Amino acid sequence: MTAPGPTARSMRICATLLLAGLVSGTGAQQAADGLALDQVLGAQQDDGFAVADRVRALRFPRDHGPHPAFKHEWWYYTGNLRTTAGRRFGFQVTFFRIAAAPPGERPVRTSHWASDQVYMAHVAVTDVQGRQFHYAERFARGALGLAGARPGPGDPPGAAHRVWLEDWQSAAVALHDDAPCASEVPPGRCLAVELKAAAGEVTLRLHLESLRPLVLQGEQGLSRKSAEPGNASYYYSFTRMAATGELRLGGQVLPVTGQAWMDREWSTSALSELQEGWDWFALQLDDGTDLMFYRLRRKDGMADPHSAGVLVGVAAGPAAGSGEGTVPLAVSDVVIDVEDYWTSPHTGARYPARWRLRVPAVDLDLRLAPHLADQELHHTQVVYWEGAVGVQGTRAGRPVRGDGYVELAGYPRVQADK
Amino acid sequence: MTRYPILAGLRFLQRHPLHLSLSVLAIALGVSVVGAVDLVNGSAMRAFVIASDAVAGTSTHRIVGGPRGVPEEVYRRLRVEHGIRSIAPVVEAYVHLAPEDIAARTVRLLGVDIFAEQAFRGYLASPRLQGNAGALLTDASAAALPTATARALGLAPGQRFAIEINGRQHYMVLAATFDADRALERTALASVLVTDIATAQELLEMEGFLSRIDLVISSETGAADEIVRLLPDGTTLAPASAQRQALEQMTRAFRLNLTALSLLALLVGMFLIYNAMTFSVLQRRQLLGMLRALGVTRAEVYRQVLLEALVLGVVGTLAGLVLAVVLGNALLHLVTRTINDLYFVLSVRELALTPAAFAKAAALGLGATVVAALVPAWEATTTPPRAVMSRIVIEIRQRRRLPLQLTATAACWVAGVVLLSASRDLWISFAALFLIIAGSALLAPAATRASIALLQPVMRRALGVLGAMAARGITVSLSRTGVAMAALSVAVAASVGVGVMIQSFRGSVADWLDNYLRADYFVSSAASGVGASQRLVPGAVLDEVRALPGVETLSLGRMVRLEGTGGFTDLFVLHMPRKSFTAFRLIAGTPEAAARAYFAGDGVLISEPYAYRHRLAVGDAVVLRTDIGDRRFPVAGIYQDYGSDHGVVTMSRATYNKHWMDSGITSFGVYARADAVPEALSASLRAILAHYDGLVLYPNRELREVSLAVFDRTFTVTQVLRLLAILVAFVGILSALMVIQLERAREFAVLRANGMTPAQLWGLVTTETGLMGLVAGALAVPLGVVLAAMLVYVINRRSFGWSMDMYIDPLTLGSALLLALVAALMAGLYPAWRMSRTPAALALREE
Repeated sequence: MTAPGPTARSMRICATLLLAGLVSGTGAQQAADGLALDQVLGAQQDDGFAVADRVRALRFPRDHGPHPAFKHEWWYYTGNLRTTAGRRFGFQVTFFRIAAAPPGERPVRTSHWASDQVYMAHVAVTDVQGRQFHYAERFARGALGLAGARPGPGDPPGAAHRVWLEDWQSAAVALHDDAPCASEVPPGRCLAVELKAAAGEVTLRLHLESLRPLVLQGEQGLSRKSAEPGNASYYYSFTRMAATGELRLGGQVLPVTGQAWMDREWSTSALSELQEGWDWFALQLDDGTDLMFYRLRRKDGMADPHSAGVLVGVAAGPAAGSGEGTVPLAVSDVVIDVEDYWTSPHTGARYPARWRLRVPAVDLDLRLAPHLADQELHHTQVVYWEGAVGVQGTRAGRPVRGDGYVELAGYPRVQADK
Repeated sequence: MTRYPILAGLRFLQRHPLHLSLSVLAIALGVSVVGAVDLVNGSAMRAFVIASDAVAGTSTHRIVGGPRGVPEEVYRRLRVEHGIRSIAPVVEAYVHLAPEDIAARTVRLLGVDIFAEQAFRGYLASPRLQGNAGALLTDASAAALPTATARALGLAPGQRFAIEINGRQHYMVLAATFDADRALERTALASVLVTDIATAQELLEMEGFLSRIDLVISSETGAADEIVRLLPDGTTLAPASAQRQALEQMTRAFRLNLTALSLLALLVGMFLIYNAMTFSVLQRRQLLGMLRALGVTRAEVYRQVLLEALVLGVVGTLAGLVLAVVLGNALLHLVTRTINDLYFVLSVRELALTPAAFAKAAALGLGATVVAALVPAWEATTTPPRAVMSRIVIEIRQRRRLPLQLTATAACWVAGVVLLSASRDLWISFAALFLIIAGSALLAPAATRASIALLQPVMRRALGVLGAMAARGITVSLSRTGVAMAALSVAVAASVGVGVMIQSFRGSVADWLDNYLRADYFVSSAASGVGASQRLVPGAVLDEVRALPGVETLSLGRMVRLEGTGGFTDLFVLHMPRKSFTAFRLIAGTPEAAARAYFAGDGVLISEPYAYRHRLAVGDAVVLRTDIGDRRFPVAGIYQDYGSDHGVVTMSRATYNKHWMDSGITSFGVYARADAVPEALSASLRAILAHYDGLVLYPNRELREVSLAVFDRTFTVTQVLRLLAILVAFVGILSALMVIQLERAREFAVLRANGMTPAQLWGLVTTETGLMGLVAGALAVPLGVVLAAMLVYVINRRSFGWSMDMYIDPLTLGSALLLALVAALMAGLYPAWRMSRTPAALALREE
């Protein structure tokens, strides 16, 4: 099954916005202005970039680092946290890299500021009990140490893997081989990072450690977007990471623990004209199963046949330490029914707000409900809904529970109209 | 109140159109000069403030650095390590946009990081940045211009245009255009060229450094302190307004001097209004007498005279305001050019017609008219009805008033001198100056009487009866001639004063340059103007020049502007041969001790204006922000310097190297060997410099001439104002003398009837006016010299901190006399012509 990555479209828009209009202030209106430019520019800027046109042996830790030959790339962390008192939080920390020019055309520059690599970051924290959604967006050039990404370790010498935008960062704290999941897998396929970010008054410091080795999405990491060669991305995930750390909120320091999910993707690809948006689900169940599925919505209202996903830990159970038990999901494997809608007071966009998600082949029947209705990022370049959800349901007749993250893109009217 | 007096008054004015129009013209000219200068000053400062604000954006503070700027690492540390986000890096300089286009202009190249701009310069946010703004990042030659500027240059996005930086041409590509929300900001932005910060660093050869870091921090004291703690030595946090205020302050004295000169024109105008009103009262003495006899009250007559003055004032002022706009537009570029030559780059595209400036000029015009009319009005009402009809009463009264006038003169002078010595304030100094002028003007009638008394026997002997008559004619009508002569004297004296001041200034500067410029050749980057970005001279040039056979040694200069919390200090670092130390003409400090301290790195020299402004003496210390923190530098000497009116601190290279990590050179001097062939040396120097863009070679003589040319250019506006004051006086004299002569129509008719030929009448009138001109001129010369002395020794020193020697050119004094004479003679032409043409009988009948 081949399909574009879940946020490919949002990245697409970001990239063109940066090329066309750079950064504006805030709000949906500006996003609309940017989109008008997106239309003007089209996709001709892809010339000169590397493309994901074949299965490539991904190497780690090298591939945790940036791929400047490709047009864009991201490090995407989401997760659900709990304080000892049971107060729940959701978080999203995303670093995007966007190349403003193809690698071949880079002129020799003498200024340390000169760079065609632009970094963007989105940080969001959902305060479930406080019913607050905090989020922030940043941009910086990948120069002068303002923002960047390093593969590590040892590249540059002595350096560990790190992605940062000013004082927000994800930095590897231990050698990957020492990570708890690493005993039975090739080196570099586990990750332990310190995550530091802030959204408004909320600051986040988390230690994340992969509980499972990374999962290569699609065809050994090549995630095809359409039948056309090169219309694809490289895509891998850490579907289950243990999170511990603290959250500072209004003068309080709250120790938290929980689980996180990390997605990595890089590509230089265009969008299908037929696609309107997507619904992306990343769920972690208490029986050890992780589920990722993205449903690409076509303009005609149908699910695009390139929609796809993966089930992890199905066979081996919660203690699974390898790629065993990873089951790819095709569009026909998953049945999603929207059970409720929520209309954004900020943008007027109408988002799905409750789902019934079934995977008949493994007898999985889940009901998903957002922890908070309003988890819309609307003061950002691209407007979308990305939020923590609670999961309840049955697996082969036995009750399962869990948490997860859902991303809903392409719903605001200005985007839908395209 | 009956309306009769008003109608009678208007009828009178209607019957004397010439008199009327000349009075109105005098008022109009006076008002226009004041208004124009005010408009120009206001426009220049407004343009400056708007431009500063638009470029500063919303920033409250700025981090500034040493000679090369702020190391960019400071910015990274604040943002990445300390998470301070309300900061934006700026690399900027003035560059010439489209040097070969007719729309060429000096613009501010603003290099910014677009990702840090949202909180600072809203016009750079994406919705207003139209075009391929992404190219700013990726294309090293991409730039953004305001839409209007792009349109003026006929540029479409994607097209190339040239800019010139320090004499080097670069081609840029228009990637995007932008516009401000507010019209004001749009005007200011017309002179801004935006590039990415990397591009700006590369264009300006500033890699590794920022011009400044803009900040928005809350007014809470803690926020600023916290930032200061994070800053390395050599950088400092200053309020965003500090530099603007310092620059504004810098031009204050210059603007004030212009205003004072314009007020002088109005003062001369006031004499003329006074004269005109006195005349109109005298002319109507019979009418007024009759009205009084018919029962019109004093108050009514008083009001009537004032009302007339007001009508003249309103008409004159309105005309003056219109003229002010015309004159202002003409003066605008002169003033702007002077500010550019002396202070900072300023682009003023249009006169800002502010209501306040008009209101001020109108109030001054009307006020001056009414004040000038008070005395004549009082005169018209305090005389008994019968006496008003008789002119002799007025003349007698005038004669009786002489002691009073002398007392007033003395009082004015004393007050002026007291004020001058009491305060250093420039406004008070000018007030004192005006008091002394006014006092001297009051002396005119007495002085005229005395000189005529002396001249009368001479006149009789030389020109016979007619000569004596001409002389007597002046004294018998002293009530009017006195004022006319006072006006003429003041105008001519002002001209003499300003003329002598400029000569003294120029003489001092020329003398100073002769001593100061020691090297045979000077080389500097083509960047002109003060505070312009200074390109460093490549080290290779120095090596090549040193290796030339005819070169004995080089002097190396480095101009640095150190910005701080309280404005900035210009620092001149000079490495020179020991023998050239005498180039510094010391005003304070002994040459031996100063030289020892200077070369040993134990002391600095400060220029005279710097010492004056900061009230420093030898032995005091100057505190400068060095790369290793604030350091005190003892003042070893104070030297004469006309290069900058905000002052310069000069130190040796050795002293500089101890405190700053900077080896840059911005200019150098070449000392030729005694046996060098000038032509050959000059040719080889030119050959070397031909390989380096933007370096200009000045032989010693040429630099002196260029400097003096700049001097002359900066005084153009002063000369123009001086001429305008003379023009006002000229018009006034013309009107005053003309009406005096015309008024005597009946007297002349009697003379004609008694056998005087038209030619004799011509002779009488022109002799009389010529005599008046001569006497006024003679009075003006000493007053002018006194004025010059005050301008040279008091006003200039207090304005700019410069002391200078008086140079009095006899030619200036002679031409002043000639000017008075010619003005007076010309004023006599028309009356003489008319008198001689009018049949005596007709003139008699006019009574």
